[in-house]
Amino acid sequence: MPRFLKEFFNRNGTGMGLAILGLVLFWTIGLIILPQLSMLDFSFRPNLPPPEIGGPKDVYTLENYKYLIYGPEGGSQDYNAVDLRVFFRTLLAAVCVTIFNLIICYPIAYYLGQSKGSHIRIFAIMLIIPYWINEILRAFALRIIFGETGVLNTLFMGLGIWDTPFDFIRNDIALYAGLGYAYILLMIFPIYNVIESLDGNQIEAARDLGAPWWRIHWRVVIPYAKPGISSGCTMVFMLSAGALAAPQILGGPSSLWFTQLIYQQFNDNNDWPQGAAYAIVLLVTCILFVLAMMRLFKVNMGDIGK
Amino acid sequence: MNNSFLRLSIWAYLVIFFLYLLGPLVIMSVTAFNSSAFPRMTPWECLTFQWFGELFQDQRILNGIKNSLIIGAGTVVLSVAMGLAGALMLTQIWPKLRATYYTVIIAPILIPGVVLGISTLVFWDRINRMLGLGADSVLSNGIFLTVIGQSTFIASYCMLVLVARLQRYDIALTEAALDLGASHAQAFRKILLPFMRPAIASAAVLAFLASFENYNTTTFTFGEYPTLTIELAQKVRYGITPSISALAFIIVAMTVFFALLNEAKLKRQELVAAARKNATVEELAGKIKLPSFFSGNMAAVLVVVFAVATITLIGTATAYNPAQCIADVREQKQLEAQQRIEELRKQREEQRKQREEERKQRFEGVFEPGDLQPGATEEGAEPDSGTNNSGFGNVFDPNALGGDDDEGASDTETQPSNNGGFGGAFDPHSLQSDQ
Repeated sequence: MPRFLKEFFNRNGTGMGLAILGLVLFWTIGLIILPQLSMLDFSFRPNLPPPEIGGPKDVYTLENYKYLIYGPEGGSQDYNAVDLRVFFRTLLAAVCVTIFNLIICYPIAYYLGQSKGSHIRIFAIMLIIPYWINEILRAFALRIIFGETGVLNTLFMGLGIWDTPFDFIRNDIALYAGLGYAYILLMIFPIYNVIESLDGNQIEAARDLGAPWWRIHWRVVIPYAKPGISSGCTMVFMLSAGALAAPQILGGPSSLWFTQLIYQQFNDNNDWPQGAAYAIVLLVTCILFVLAMMRLFKVNMGDIGK
Repeated sequence: MNNSFLRLSIWAYLVIFFLYLLGPLVIMSVTAFNSSAFPRMTPWECLTFQWFGELFQDQRILNGIKNSLIIGAGTVVLSVAMGLAGALMLTQIWPKLRATYYTVIIAPILIPGVVLGISTLVFWDRINRMLGLGADSVLSNGIFLTVIGQSTFIASYCMLVLVARLQRYDIALTEAALDLGASHAQAFRKILLPFMRPAIASAAVLAFLASFENYNTTTFTFGEYPTLTIELAQKVRYGITPSISALAFIIVAMTVFFALLNEAKLKRQELVAAARKNATVEELAGKIKLPSFFSGNMAAVLVVVFAVATITLIGTATAYNPAQCIADVREQKQLEAQQRIEELRKQREEQRKQREEERKQRFEGVFEPGDLQPGATEEGAEPDSGTNNSGFGNVFDPNALGGDDDEGASDTETQPSNNGGFGGAFDPHSLQSDQ
């Protein structure tokens, strides 16, 4: 037995140690690592009916990944233009949603983090309440607002700004508003946590030395808040790229989200390996993208999630 | 002046921000009370409570709530247990492994829920097959899979909450207990658990809420046991009714109530502590004058106001009958519809008259001498956007017989909106080659 294991059991007692170790192993290996590996393995296999699984036809193949790039075999196009376009559009839209969220949340987080008083607690409650409401209901609320006879159209038509209803849903405005809305809290809290610990004297010193407000933010606050900003951005990006409910409810009829394609592969086409391959592509691309961004902005992995 | 302007703009920004955040919830809640069959706030028809009645009769929703509660309970137990074990492990693990371990247990928060759902489904399906169990075994049961799938990432949330408090724990307390002869299990149960209780409570609440509202993972794993969220999603995707708004209103009201209640309790504890600090010894010993629950406690006042409002609302709901109003609205709608029909009829009549007049004029025009001259200018020849509702297009247009003449062409041009089914197909000009 390695020494640290022995120490571990000495410290916690055999029974407790076994319980802790068992739960941790079940969680990390049984729930996190093995299912992901299993999905990876599955994505390299052909789609077979259950009796043939494990049979001679059950060999490794790149078929599912080829499908994403080249489309069905013998198809009319050289590339699977539909799915690829959906894939890149999803990534691009997720980036846009992240930037939009960062822009609207940073001032709020700064304000909450730097001002004192009892009203801050009220603001915090007002921030958290929407987050406790069901994701589906939040999307539903936005659909009521953005609908053809919704509040916004009625309002603007009443004011005479436009005279035929504007289709927010077909133009994807509802979708972006919904995605931004869903993850506001995940952007505010990490930034708020960091800014709250920033010593107000630093800001005052910068001000005394004659820095205008934007330079104070650029040179003092933002560098200090970088870990918070990066973990907020990472979470919002990953979650909006992987969102399913908002695109299903708020997305236009002609615009798909990549997760919807995965969902279709699983539920409509009943092609699990294909769906697994798509899921792997999404996961790996998102992780690589986040790592690249972290390298670009010089952030450490350890800062995320704090 | 600059300062006050800045302050003003900050407040304006805050107002806009919270409108974006809370406005949709308020609007959604309000639509629950409008009698319009499509959830909307304007036009306001009648105050009604019928959607609540409809909600409570919806078997699928009730069944969904039941499944959600079962799955929520399972997820809370499993993820709090795993989260606590994970947090304890994090404080004790071999330093070299620490970073890797941390990455592994924090990763499920960042992995898209869809991917977690799929991997859970695929993995347990495979285990099930390896063990040679059938399709109806425990391992492919919707409740089991959902609890497992959700716990994968909810345990990470719990771990983060628990580890924050665990870091403030003094390990010497456990050591003292062990020195005094307690067993490890006893030390855990009597020393560590009571210390961790507040964090465990908040982790449990967090886990339950996360489980209750999860959609992305559950949508792949639920099997035969759809949760409330799944049922809601299906309802919202295939036609929306105000009974969903009614459910939303109940959830919003409950959330606000519990948030305020919690806040009031915290505030009260604070006030009590402050009073204790300021109180003289005799006050503490004799007549303790604790601040009443309400003084200086906005949240508590709000809780009571809120509760009273709810009771009033339910009271009115049972007594109020909007049948009269609904009938009125229906009548009015019918009136409006009739009016519209009337208007349409009039419009048609007028159009018909106009056409007849035009036709007359045209026939008059035919006999004008200029008509017979070959004009051959094609400007007006495009098949007119004119109002010719007759299916014959311009077949009977006298111009058709008269060759191209300027006057006739300009005549067709001025005709508003041709909706004829044949468009300009029968327009004689279309057969002529361009000149």
